[in-house]
Amino acid sequence: MKLDWCRGILYVTIMGMESCWLYALIALLNKQVAGGHLSTLGLLLLYPLAFGFNKLIQQLRWPQVGLRSTSWLAWAVGMLLMMKTQMYSGAALSDPAWLMALPQAIAEVLYTFKPELIILVSSAVMWWLGRRLAHIRINFATSVSEFQFGLAILLITFFVTSQLRVDLADSVPIALIFFVFALLGISIAHAQESTSWLSGLYQGHWSGLLLVSIGLILILGLLISSVVTPDLLKLILAALKWVWGLIIKVIAFIASLFPEPEPGKLPPMPPMPEMKPEETFKLWTMPESLRSGLGLGLGIMWLGLILIALWRVSSQIFGWLRHKLASMAGAEVEPLPGAFRADFLSLLKRILLKLLRVRLPFQLRGKSVSILPEVASIKQIYRQLLRWAAAGGLPRRKYQTPYEYLYTLVDLLPQAQEDLNFITQQYVATRYGTSLPNEDALHQSRQSLQRIRQNRLKRMTNEYANA
Amino acid sequence: MDRVIEEASQGALQIKEAADRFISNVNKVIVGKKEAIELVLVALLCEGHVLIEDVPGIGKTMLAKATAKSLECSFKRVQCTPDLLPSDVTGIHYFNQKTSEFEFRPGPIMANILLVDEINRATPRTQSCLLECMQEQQVTVDLETVPLPRPFLVIATQNPVELEGTFPLPEAQLDRFLLRVKLGYPSEDEEGAILSRFQQENPLDNLTSVIEAKELLELQKLCRQVYIENSVRNYIITITRSTRSHQGIELGASPRASLGLHLASQALAVIRGRNYVIPDDVKYLAVPTLAHRLIPKTESRLRGQSVEKIVGEIVSTVPVPVEEKV
Repeated sequence: MKLDWCRGILYVTIMGMESCWLYALIALLNKQVAGGHLSTLGLLLLYPLAFGFNKLIQQLRWPQVGLRSTSWLAWAVGMLLMMKTQMYSGAALSDPAWLMALPQAIAEVLYTFKPELIILVSSAVMWWLGRRLAHIRINFATSVSEFQFGLAILLITFFVTSQLRVDLADSVPIALIFFVFALLGISIAHAQESTSWLSGLYQGHWSGLLLVSIGLILILGLLISSVVTPDLLKLILAALKWVWGLIIKVIAFIASLFPEPEPGKLPPMPPMPEMKPEETFKLWTMPESLRSGLGLGLGIMWLGLILIALWRVSSQIFGWLRHKLASMAGAEVEPLPGAFRADFLSLLKRILLKLLRVRLPFQLRGKSVSILPEVASIKQIYRQLLRWAAAGGLPRRKYQTPYEYLYTLVDLLPQAQEDLNFITQQYVATRYGTSLPNEDALHQSRQSLQRIRQNRLKRMTNEYANA
Repeated sequence: MDRVIEEASQGALQIKEAADRFISNVNKVIVGKKEAIELVLVALLCEGHVLIEDVPGIGKTMLAKATAKSLECSFKRVQCTPDLLPSDVTGIHYFNQKTSEFEFRPGPIMANILLVDEINRATPRTQSCLLECMQEQQVTVDLETVPLPRPFLVIATQNPVELEGTFPLPEAQLDRFLLRVKLGYPSEDEEGAILSRFQQENPLDNLTSVIEAKELLELQKLCRQVYIENSVRNYIITITRSTRSHQGIELGASPRASLGLHLASQALAVIRGRNYVIPDDVKYLAVPTLAHRLIPKTESRLRGQSVEKIVGEIVSTVPVPVEEKV
């Protein structure tokens, strides 16, 4: 598959995933706040528009401030149009009445939940997401991170929906579409980086395997949904109740074996002194505003706890999957240590830094150390080479330089000399030098790694042992 | 930043081109021994001094003379003997009867390249007169301090075998040499090539200069711009610090040794066509840069452990900065 095509599909998958959770969220708010009067799909239209517009103006070689201003100006126009079409569709575009009514409605937004609030906030969020998508570089880590984040948002939305007893009819198709996009995006990103087992041993069949995997997951989902019916759940519940009743009976039986103490006669109570009824006195009455503030804080705390619980559960599931996959023959699990956590923490850090920068503009001018994606990619490729060789019984010694290690590898694997040499050179130039590998070099490095991996590790180890 | 990198790359190309010219020129006289020639060039680019040490007849003086002739610089030679005096090297103030004034007559030290042949035959007093010259590139005679011409390079030779009538170089003197180069015997083919090359005439007579003094100064400046990544810098520090805590070493490497290894690595990197230093450069230069500065313990000497072996041992235990998380 051509690289441009892959990149295009990756954009579509990320857009699809984000659209799914945005749709669910907006639909919930629409039903709860606007009584379902707004068109969710119409609102969602702003997201691809934001992406397209920002991608377009990215081509212009304007300064960053100009680009940002233009983008947010376009958002304001888009938001106004959305307000017009959704809220004041009866009025003519040239009619100043709707423009006059708009500031009043937006002012009210600050202290009441109104449909305008949904349009204002959702359009801003979608515009920001579209702008972000136009600027980011999509790779495997991004796809997984988007999946984790989207899954968390979807789960929270569905949880809130069930608690508020809102009928969200499209929840099942949304979840299905979300998983299809996620699976597709993650698979393509992984295959594009040429690091998956699909592109190694089963090269040439990966697209077929991908479709089979998607199909299998869908079939499995359907089977589970057909088997796990409310009747079955009721049956399981009844069985659990019966078991619990049995346990209670056993405990009661054991307790009956012990003699009960005979109740002794209690001495008569002394007469109570007469007390005057005291006037009710309250030390302090909590004001209503503080009460509501504390309530909000408590709500946020609960939400935070739920998020942490979800994150823990998803981490456990991923950990379990990694553990299971690692034990499979021929499969290799790539570590993605804390992708979601890293994203989340970096978001919090950025927000904090921005807030502090506003308050302390002269104190926080420290240099931020960031690793460029090209450097990270080439390091990742080299790490994979090291891991592969270590798995074959030839780990790099701590005192070996990359070139010394290269000679050791070439001695055992002369047929891969060119590829080993290329990866090592790229790594050394990036790690110790100032140059960055270009897209072609990165692609070639991945191809080289893929070719090296096709050599059987056991054979290599045997040769090493014989030597 | 990009501009700096670009300039550094251009500088690296310029040095590489000059290095190739120099090596091929010296190779016309010295058969094989590319590593030794490369090390001498490293010292030249770092403005450091070289101590060539080996048994007689290997080509130590020939290498020094070929180096001097390849550079369009002033060249002087001092043949060290036990009766050589410091004033024979630095120069003296003599009374000019015509002008009735004391005038300074500079010694051979006032040259761009000074060949100090058989340095260990000079007395410690004479050897010590080189300390100030080598480190500070100036000479003080009768309370008068005179700067030495730039570039200034001392190429000294010594014979480690014949020790009668010699005075071993003190530690302070050894520390001032950036590198100690050992030539070693030539291989059979190389020896054959030497015989045929020297059959008709001495190729040294026809050797022409390939690098001017001004160009050399410029190359020395460019050499310092070679990029060295922080982890590689730390690697150098770890190696030198390890020599101070090694069981078999009485006196470890000085901070001057760290600085020397740092500069030499930059020069070697650029000679090999890179504008950045890699750990291989450091490893390669560890023995020539550090070994002569260390004093081994008596137990180590008795066990037959040479300083080179100890440095090699240190280098093979210090972790190289490579991706750790595999």
